[in-house]
Amino acid sequence: MIGLTNAVVRFGNRCVLDQLSFSAERGRSLAILGPNGRGKTTALRAMLGFQALAAGTRTAPAVVGYVPQYASSNQSYKVLDAVVMGRAAGLGLFGQPSARDIATARDALEQVGALRFAKERFDRLSGGERQLVLLARALATGSKVLVLDEPGSALDLNNQARLLRLLSALRAPRDRAIVFTTHDPNHALAAADDALLMLPDGPALFGPVAETIVPELLERLYGVPMRLVNLIGEDGTGQNAVLPAFAGRRAA
Amino acid sequence: MSDRIRSGNRWLLGAGLALAFAGAAVAEEIVITDHENREIRLDAPASRIVTIPMPLASGVIALSGGADRLVGLNPLSLTAIREGILGKIFPDAVNIPDAVTGTDFVPNVEALAAVNPDLVVQWAGRGPEIVDPIVNAGLNTLLIKYGTEELTRQYMTMVATAIGKPERITELVGWRDVVQHEIEAKVARIPQEERPNVLYLGRSLSDITAAGDNGSYSSWYIALAGGRNAAAELDGTSSINREQIAQWDPEVILLNSFEPNLDVNWVYDDPILSLTKAAQQHRVYKMPLGGYRWDPPSQESPLTWMWLAELLHPELFDYDLRAEMTKAYKTLYNYQLTEADIDGIIWTAQQGDSLGYDQFAAQ
Amino acid sequence: MSTQIDDGGAIASRWRPWSHTGFAFASFGVALMGAILVSLCVGRYSVSALTALHILGEAIVHPGQAIGSMDQRIVLLVRAPRVVIAAMAGAALATAGVALQGVFRNPLVSPEVLGISQGAAFGGALAITMGIWGVPLLGIVFVGGLSALIAVGMLARINGQTEILTVILSGMVVGSLFSACVSLLQFIADPNSSLPAIVYWLMGSFATATWDRVLVSAPGLLLGIALLWALRFRLNVLSLDDSEARSLGARPDQERWLVFVLVALIVGCQVAVSGIVGWVGLVIPHAARLIVGHDHRRLLPATALLGATFMVGVDTLARTLTAAEIPLGVLTAIIGAPAFALLLRRHFKDREAT
Repeated sequence: MIGLTNAVVRFGNRCVLDQLSFSAERGRSLAILGPNGRGKTTALRAMLGFQALAAGTRTAPAVVGYVPQYASSNQSYKVLDAVVMGRAAGLGLFGQPSARDIATARDALEQVGALRFAKERFDRLSGGERQLVLLARALATGSKVLVLDEPGSALDLNNQARLLRLLSALRAPRDRAIVFTTHDPNHALAAADDALLMLPDGPALFGPVAETIVPELLERLYGVPMRLVNLIGEDGTGQNAVLPAFAGRRAA
Repeated sequence: MSDRIRSGNRWLLGAGLALAFAGAAVAEEIVITDHENREIRLDAPASRIVTIPMPLASGVIALSGGADRLVGLNPLSLTAIREGILGKIFPDAVNIPDAVTGTDFVPNVEALAAVNPDLVVQWAGRGPEIVDPIVNAGLNTLLIKYGTEELTRQYMTMVATAIGKPERITELVGWRDVVQHEIEAKVARIPQEERPNVLYLGRSLSDITAAGDNGSYSSWYIALAGGRNAAAELDGTSSINREQIAQWDPEVILLNSFEPNLDVNWVYDDPILSLTKAAQQHRVYKMPLGGYRWDPPSQESPLTWMWLAELLHPELFDYDLRAEMTKAYKTLYNYQLTEADIDGIIWTAQQGDSLGYDQFAAQ
Repeated sequence: MSTQIDDGGAIASRWRPWSHTGFAFASFGVALMGAILVSLCVGRYSVSALTALHILGEAIVHPGQAIGSMDQRIVLLVRAPRVVIAAMAGAALATAGVALQGVFRNPLVSPEVLGISQGAAFGGALAITMGIWGVPLLGIVFVGGLSALIAVGMLARINGQTEILTVILSGMVVGSLFSACVSLLQFIADPNSSLPAIVYWLMGSFATATWDRVLVSAPGLLLGIALLWALRFRLNVLSLDDSEARSLGARPDQERWLVFVLVALIVGCQVAVSGIVGWVGLVIPHAARLIVGHDHRRLLPATALLGATFMVGVDTLARTLTAAEIPLGVLTAIIGAPAFALLLRRHFKDREAT
């Protein structure tokens, strides 16, 4: 399980996080939403332990399965080698990955559907494929917590859909805590149980998706009119979606 | 100028010299043409001289017969004076200011001006940066080139003229000519295969250097004394390694006198060098350090040639080195060498048992 | 609704991870052996190859035997230690270079970047000026390199963290400072003894190699290489962004410093016995990367082997081409610079393709 309790972060005079509290328990999935500059990234970094807290506490396991939005720029490693790095925490400073570590890495690749890229060079993959590999690396750490930084933001719609299905599938066994940040409320609807809204006009709101991903709160969050619509999903059942009302064409 | 014509006498300088020198009125103005073809005019013989090139300090002392005309010198000249016998002969010489130049021959004009020289000797052919500051300060500057016997005689003549002692030219420069011809006459009869391979090592302790024939003074006097330069294939001075020395397998090895920590044991203790012919036959000699180091050209060079000729061809030469040194030091410095002095100069303690050194032993 | 993309199958049959690399490593090994043997057989002093090999064989089989003849001495006392020092230095410098390039995530760095080479150079120049040689010189050189590293560490530490860019900038400052001090020492050094010694030593050469120097420098060099070898997987992790590396359980700040200290150890030992040798730490890692890829588990040994081979080859040229010894730095630059240019072009063309 991972979370922050009464966390305060200041940059100079600016208070970026003010008594922020939230958590993702084991088996639950949390989406963090908020406009740019409202502390979404800071909350993520604080959660991961990259950002020191001026006050408050952080709860997290020793190793967190972190999926960055972009990989380091010069990763020319082969995909399998990149995923095996996920095993580093258990190996110590001078440790070398064993056959079992490599097998775990391959399993992780298989789980995200990227095993066929195992021998490719990471920097030769497309954006979506890279994201899958980074996710595999996070899975390979064996951590029960997954933290993804804006996993869908750089992907096209097809890849976004694929990723969301993957996140839902990872949530299904209810044995992990999953946290991800996103710009798109529909991602929260698709893959999260809880949501944290970093509201610009007041304290952050934390609660189940049903109570937080609602147009009124989202309008407060983004300053843009939002509408809830009902769609027929892929499998024929009804599905909710939230759309911003600033785009589109005038209906005839 | 009318003054010059009125004085009358002109002196033409020695026959064996390549450059023609402008004559000087002995009583009045002295005119010298230096190695960059500049004219230096002195109203009176120079009596306050600063020498920036290293060998010239002892050179001026020798030509003057004393240290009182030297008012400034190169710090390295001072080192040589302290290390060698000149410091003993002229104890006051160690107090001569050496701040007038850095060891890189860049003059310190303020220090120069402070000693109020009437003549400054500096290198020719090394660029105007080391010359202009002196000239701009209004000081008479004599530029000399260095490295061959010819050039050496020329600048010795220039200095002797500058200090108004032309008789020193015969004594010091003429002497060189005489000795050179003596040795050449005897060496001419030695067939090539009887001329031993001689290797002179300019440096030994940091890297090992040797020099080819062009531009090397040591190579010249090795040939003069009836030897052959073992390092002839080199182009100028270069770093070499022990394997190359083993390949040349010289019959005689000459060690430089610049490195105070270097003695002949350096060769005998070395696993490679100790197997050379030179080491096997005990023909390893460190160049002596007298009034100046005997490796480069100096006022004592004829002694070097005699020393080497005796070592290379003892059966052909019969110089009494100790007597020659005693005579030379009387002429050069007006000093009576003691037996201990001589042993100190030629390193008898360190290499007295080298082949041929018994002929240099005190009687 | 499918939750997984179909694998495409048949991966197992394509899984031959070592075939290409295995061949590469075998070639490296053969090349190194070849370079060493050739180097032992050639030189300014004529020893036939057969004689040299015979002498070598005898020495290996009967190590205690006295070394009497000139041939034996040349092969075993002049060439052999020189080859060993050159190989160790080449391997060590290349390994240090590849480790630095990994932790700096920049293929253009080398030990000079951290100012270590300059600090070691200052230590050596200082020792020479004071007339200190032998083992104490080695000690002072190593202390010089380490001092530079500590200076960089103190300079680059901001808020308890060291950012990579700050380290590089601090390295430049410290390196320049030590270089200036070396120039100062050259200025005041005795032109008859200290100055030529300093100048020659700065240029880099293995000509002074003896078995004593091998014994003195080997422990540090081998320890450095061994520990970097042990860190080969960790270097992969450290080459990621700090956040990624931390999330994978590493402590990039402290672990980078461990790498720096090992590099200082290696460079100090190498500079002490053979002066400044440039280009090896920069070019060899690139060449190795092009052949075996970026994974440090393969890259490190490949670089070490290539570095050793390169250094032995260059040194053999330096001491045999002419009667005079060609300064090592000149040769490594003449060979290294164009090679580096070619490698850079390959590197960027490679990147274009991604």
